[in-house]
Amino acid sequence: MFEAMGVHGPTLSPFASLVLDIALLASAFWLLAKPTKRPIMDSLFLATLVLSVSFLRVVMQPLPNVQPVTVAALLVGAQLGARRGAAFAVLVAMISNFFMGDGWWTVFQAVGWASVAVAGSQLTLITPSGLNLRKAIFASLAAAIWFDLIVSFSILDGTIGFTDFITYLIHGIPFDLLHMASNLVFVVWLGSWFSGLLEEQPTLEEIEFAVVNGHGIDG
Amino acid sequence: MFQRLIAFFLLSLMLLPLVSADRDTSSWNQENSPVWEYDFGTGYISTSPVFVDDKIIVRTSGNSEPSVTALELDGTMAWKHANLLSKNNDMSPVLPVNAGEGICGTWPDLLLVGWTNGVIDALYPSNGSVYWSTQTEVAGWGITGAAIVSEDHVIFPTRRGVGQFCLADGSQEWWAETGLGWRNGVSLYDGSIFSGDELGTLWQIDSSGNATSLATFDGKIRHGPLMTQAGLLVHVQSSLSSTVYILDPVSGEERQQIPAGPSPAMPVLNGQYAVVADSMNLQMMKCSVACTVVSQMPFHTNGEIGWHNESHLIAPHNTPDSDWGSFVFDGDQNLTLELIDTGITGYGTAAPLWFSSNGVNYTVFGNDQSLLRVYQSNYREEVEVTKDIDWVTQGFVFAAYVLLASSAVFFLNGKKELFLRTSSLLLVLILLLILPELSQVWSEAVDQALPESSTSEVWDEQWPDSWLGTQIVIFEIDGEETAVGGFVGYENVFDVTKAAADEVGFSLSVEQTGIGMYISSIDGVEGDGWEYDLDGSKGRLSADNTEIESTSIVRWTPV
Repeated sequence: MFEAMGVHGPTLSPFASLVLDIALLASAFWLLAKPTKRPIMDSLFLATLVLSVSFLRVVMQPLPNVQPVTVAALLVGAQLGARRGAAFAVLVAMISNFFMGDGWWTVFQAVGWASVAVAGSQLTLITPSGLNLRKAIFASLAAAIWFDLIVSFSILDGTIGFTDFITYLIHGIPFDLLHMASNLVFVVWLGSWFSGLLEEQPTLEEIEFAVVNGHGIDG
Repeated sequence: MFQRLIAFFLLSLMLLPLVSADRDTSSWNQENSPVWEYDFGTGYISTSPVFVDDKIIVRTSGNSEPSVTALELDGTMAWKHANLLSKNNDMSPVLPVNAGEGICGTWPDLLLVGWTNGVIDALYPSNGSVYWSTQTEVAGWGITGAAIVSEDHVIFPTRRGVGQFCLADGSQEWWAETGLGWRNGVSLYDGSIFSGDELGTLWQIDSSGNATSLATFDGKIRHGPLMTQAGLLVHVQSSLSSTVYILDPVSGEERQQIPAGPSPAMPVLNGQYAVVADSMNLQMMKCSVACTVVSQMPFHTNGEIGWHNESHLIAPHNTPDSDWGSFVFDGDQNLTLELIDTGITGYGTAAPLWFSSNGVNYTVFGNDQSLLRVYQSNYREEVEVTKDIDWVTQGFVFAAYVLLASSAVFFLNGKKELFLRTSSLLLVLILLLILPELSQVWSEAVDQALPESSTSEVWDEQWPDSWLGTQIVIFEIDGEETAVGGFVGYENVFDVTKAAADEVGFSLSVEQTGIGMYISSIDGVEGDGWEYDLDGSKGRLSADNTEIESTSIVRWTPV
């Protein structure tokens, strides 16, 4: 709802924007750095994912409140875990907003998508047989409302009262519906494919380790 | 069985567009054919054209050259009279006057034109030259309401009063101070003149020019009061609604109150029947002992309403992709609405013009895009009319058909996942198509249902008094405010912003998006976009979709 209405909360000075960007970037690195160091291919894959989804968000900008990032964050969280999901969300928010307009709202978008990713990691959307489509659909619909609500808080700049805020939220319901509907499309069309793409394949080293531990060394 | 029923329902939905396509084949469209179209460029046709001396006289204003133009029946221009000093939106109807004589002298056939810079011009209908011209008071703006002729004089509403002028030479006979007015037409009954103002006062002025307050309402009066058999009808506009009052014309005592919707149109009267309208409904009232609503139709119109004859009236549908509403009344309690496709879409507040020439009946439509289109009845010759096709929308609609059919087929075959895919895509497509209208209608409904924001833009004491009661725009650029005011008659944030930018010489960069006009830069300053506050509250819709009041203050700030 927030993007469609063009309300953006307080305006940041260049220095404040810089501090904000550094804080977001630092949080993303912190999330990625722990608890274990990632293999280089893993990092490259995540970087490619971040860039691709950011690009998708930028090119889909003309469609009001159609947000491919929400479903992507949900599924990344579900497949790669809360940390990498949240880092993915923060980086996508930063990179895409570099093209679409950076500001105070970036923080709320990053928090919104990161929380969606964390929720995705806790909802057991992935089963041994793949994506639980029914569960993913409901999660994506709820994620749309949750994300729009979080981002709506960015308009609170001290001049907007409670009633105005509620009015603002109600005004945005048509845009929330579009966000929900587009999430549904992303999940049913691309959900299984995307979650399969994210499925972690064991490395040769891990396979060897598993074999050694599981079967011992003959002879 | 259930699946087949659902599929039948989905397939039936495909037929809905055929129902809406009925508008193209309305009975009016079948009986009338377009003859020619005239594009005046940018600006507005805010009041009904008139037919005088075998010419169609059209008033245009706004961004285009403020002028009165006479067009021949074949669409060629006969003459044009411009008033470059009239910078606001001219909407006072052009008033034709027959030649005559009176105590103050004689006069030929005339066209009387009141301008927003306070000038009244009396023009020769034959060539547009000026017979006489006079200047009335200006306070921010001058004349915006309808004048009337009484014997050998004409009575014009001015900015803060009402004046009477001799038809022979334009000399002012008297001027009575009333209140700040806008589109405040005057009416005359039993020697008394009635006019309302922006503070809700209904004034009664006697033939000597003595004004008294007859009644006061909480709202604005923006039309000439109508004298019905049940009493004086006044449609008072308040912020979120309006009320029709029936009054005793002598004492001003209230006889009736009839609730109505926001942004009322100018009521019209034909015998016992009065028609009032607003952004929600058009109501037909029968006024004898009292006024009773006999029929009501949902319709959005905010300006003039045209009575064609006793059973037929046409009103402009004041929305971006408007058709016109043709209402047929059976004289009992049945009002039927048919949408007319005039081929010119866009906002509009001017009533159509009807006239006959050489046995042919003509209907003329004008709108806020400065487009004028002339129709002939029973005209069978093939006329080539160019019609813009929105290929993107057509593509979306075609895709929607395909998805709808696919959904039905998949559903019938029990392929749930494929059904889910196609139907979800169809849902998004439909939402994208209807989102601009949906969000606007939704926001209007929310605004009406919820309390107004307590914030408001504060009047700056440094602003000139002439801006009081007018529309004002403030641009904040690099920490500096540029305020410009005195605007009248603009109906949305975008229009008044464009006028303000023109006045101060700021360039505007505008992008048309799916949800309306988006201002990306003002005076070359882009930033991360621009947002506006309207009367102290954050703008919630695109600038062109946000209606404004006559005293609104718009503030633009960079993001």
